[in-house]
Amino acid sequence: MPPLIEFDRVTITAQDKTLLADISFTLNTGEKAAFHGKSGAGKSTVLKALLGLHTISQGKILFNGQPLTAPVIQTIRHDAIYISQEPILAAQTVQEALLLPFQFKAHSPHKPSRQRLVEMLARLDLPAHVLEQQTGCISGGEKQRVALARGLLMGKSLYLLDEVTSALDADSKQAVYNVCFQTETTLLSVAYDPEWLARCDTIYTLQQGQLVGIQHDYP
Amino acid sequence: MTTLDIEPPQMAVLYALALLPLGLLQVIGLKLSRDILTSLLRMTVQLGLVGIYLKTLFALNDPALNSLWVLVMLVVADFSILKRAGLSRRHFFLTTFAAIAFSTVFVTLYLMVLVIQTPHFYDARYLVPLAGMVLGNCLQSTVIALERFYSSLRKNEQEYLTYLLLGATRWEAVRPYFLESIKAALSPTIASMSTMGLVSLPGMMTGQILGGSEPWLAVKYQIAIMVGIFTCTTLACLLSLKLSLNKAFNELDILKINKNSP
Repeated sequence: MPPLIEFDRVTITAQDKTLLADISFTLNTGEKAAFHGKSGAGKSTVLKALLGLHTISQGKILFNGQPLTAPVIQTIRHDAIYISQEPILAAQTVQEALLLPFQFKAHSPHKPSRQRLVEMLARLDLPAHVLEQQTGCISGGEKQRVALARGLLMGKSLYLLDEVTSALDADSKQAVYNVCFQTETTLLSVAYDPEWLARCDTIYTLQQGQLVGIQHDYP
Repeated sequence: MTTLDIEPPQMAVLYALALLPLGLLQVIGLKLSRDILTSLLRMTVQLGLVGIYLKTLFALNDPALNSLWVLVMLVVADFSILKRAGLSRRHFFLTTFAAIAFSTVFVTLYLMVLVIQTPHFYDARYLVPLAGMVLGNCLQSTVIALERFYSSLRKNEQEYLTYLLLGATRWEAVRPYFLESIKAALSPTIASMSTMGLVSLPGMMTGQILGGSEPWLAVKYQIAIMVGIFTCTTLACLLSLKLSLNKAFNELDILKINKNSP
């Protein structure tokens, strides 16, 4: 069986700048991996490339053994949760933000009940009254967890997460770890958080777009 | 009742009227004289040429020639829309042309054949002014619709991508910006219809009354033209936006056009 994700000597350039240079790695179903490195090293580019948000200059990306064509990218977008460092909730209230995907035809048959929204928030250490709050008035950490809750409500199994614990306190981080590191979840992430890295199976270190280190047992 | 002619000496008196604002602007130190004089000259030459064209067009009343006139108006309008909306001709010339051509021709023929019931569907005396008025208004609105839509999409690109990554189709993801732009484009026409006759007497109606028509007839024509303008504007905005979508995005639904690219 092919790996779920395979980067084969991938180079990505944009506006004469090399974002990724000759990157190769694989990720199997259920595996948890993280990219770390300094700001501008190309970590977020790895996640965005999978979603078709960057054009590949050289090399290839395979998903379930298939090259990254438009229909395959649509499948990845459909199967994955992607949360950026500063997630956009794109709604007035938290409840509207959580229900946003269910306005679209792809998810509309599975619109969750209010009870389910409350349960999902509780799993991420957020109280029920957050539902009525304006998204412009909640903290960065709350935004990250609401975005994660929205992804979880869609019932996806591939998580592409970009520093989702960067604005969280210890209790909230614990709740996020519990949700993201379940056995069935496949996780490709960008992280600085040592505890997050310690929970991952593989850690890739990027430096100026190049893969300079692979660790399988983070201390 | 015939319209009183404006003889050449009276035309001179008319131009003299413009000296009043020119003088006042000079007094307050606003240096606009050159622009104003250029505009007055351009207007005079352009309208003079239109007078010559129209006289010939009305005299010949040839269906092919009349259609060619409408075609020229449509092409000029298309260039003007794309330039003012800051969109590339390479990507959008055909889609915008199809949208405004269908809307203008459909509405103009509807008014001429079914409403006014002109002797011939190509009658220059009706075709040229009706198509001109309908297209002129539709041009303004189409500029607003296209400009607002693409600038809004560029400004909210991250939000648009969020919709896509949450499972929206391209159409579902652009829909909020689509609706917002259509609303902005139609607002002036809707406002104009609701205040018509209260704030000002519309130009066409005034023209008809000055031309000797009964006020009631002028009112009916004005209503016809306003309904025509509203219909044409709505059709042109919807069609130009919808048809442009296939040209503006790549196969991964990423916006591929840049502002003001040729």
